Amino acid sequence: MKLESAVKKKIIRDILVSIVLYVLPVVLMFLTFYINGQRPWLEKTTKTEAKK
Amino acid sequence: MINILESIFKNLASWGLPVLMVITGIIEFSLGLYENKWNKNERILDIVCFVIPKIVVKPAIVYFTLLVLPLLLPGYKNKFDWVPFWWAFFIIAVADDLTQYWYHRLHHQVPWLWRFHRTHHSASYMGMAMASRQNIIYTIFFSQMYLTAALTYLGLGYAALFVTGIKSLITTAAHASIKWDQPFYKYKFLHPFAWILERLISTPATHHAHHADTTDDGVGHYKGNFGNMFFIWDVIFQTGIITRKYPSSYGTKAYKNEEWYAQFLWPIFKSQKKGSELSSDGPMVADGITDNIDLRVKKDETSMAASI
Repeated sequence: MKLESAVKKKIIRDILVSIVLYVLPVVLMFLTFYINGQRPWLEKTTKTEAKK
Repeated sequence: MINILESIFKNLASWGLPVLMVITGIIEFSLGLYENKWNKNERILDIVCFVIPKIVVKPAIVYFTLLVLPLLLPGYKNKFDWVPFWWAFFIIAVADDLTQYWYHRLHHQVPWLWRFHRTHHSASYMGMAMASRQNIIYTIFFSQMYLTAALTYLGLGYAALFVTGIKSLITTAAHASIKWDQPFYKYKFLHPFAWILERLISTPATHHAHHADTTDDGVGHYKGNFGNMFFIWDVIFQTGIITRKYPSSYGTKAYKNEEWYAQFLWPIFKSQKKGSELSSDGPMVADGITDNIDLRVKKDETSMAASI
């Protein structure tokens, strides 16, 4: 039993949209950091080095 | 009483959720919401599906997390623990639930996958047990569990705990036969909240529609409403309908009351029922119910979903 062409096309299209949705929260997070001037990954590195 | 409730929610990710589900199940049973549909075969299947994955699957996931991930992603343990909590929550909620949306949708739209998901839809009733009623193969390959485990390894574990807890509450409540969303549709002053709620998360109305045994009565929609925690995916991909009504009957028309072990362990054990989708010489998708699999995208479905 095969997957019909119309359903297959919709699945492919929706998967492409999904890739954008997956990335969106990460992009928004870095955009917020850029706007606020935050660099939390550096703060972590600084703390780690201070402990050493 | 408060201390007990607090303890349940603090331990939601371990024993807390199963306790809540059992309490919900007892309430449902006491209110007669299972009617006379919970026969011996269904009882065994629901209890086995509730218990076994928790004993077998969860330890396997822990094993995967502790042993395999360091080999696959060496040096990346807690690499992203700098991510602020709410961003981690947002990232995991999307990644986890969108993956589960796809895992679920593909099991409805790819004929070969249907039989791994059929068990979840075979019951003619709704209840908390439906949330865990699954074929074991479907459960083992619950793709989002591995994604969440990987994100936990990478340092987003605390947020993952919250996402898992909230998601479990929403999905259990959406499967339950207690229609908690009904007041939102009944009282006009709650309608604005209903509009947001039903488009954001799965509610009994939208998820019961997915478990209906019909799709042509203006309420049932087993060809869509795939969302688990978030219904927003069905809105975005136009796979959902919102009616604020509940189906009159549930299940699948091709159900032959297959043996509980066949439903739980297919294809390891197959059904002896002739013509069953789970039998050794049975169809992939039974005749007369080709609509169980969304083989076509109907124009009226698209326009109906667009009105969402």
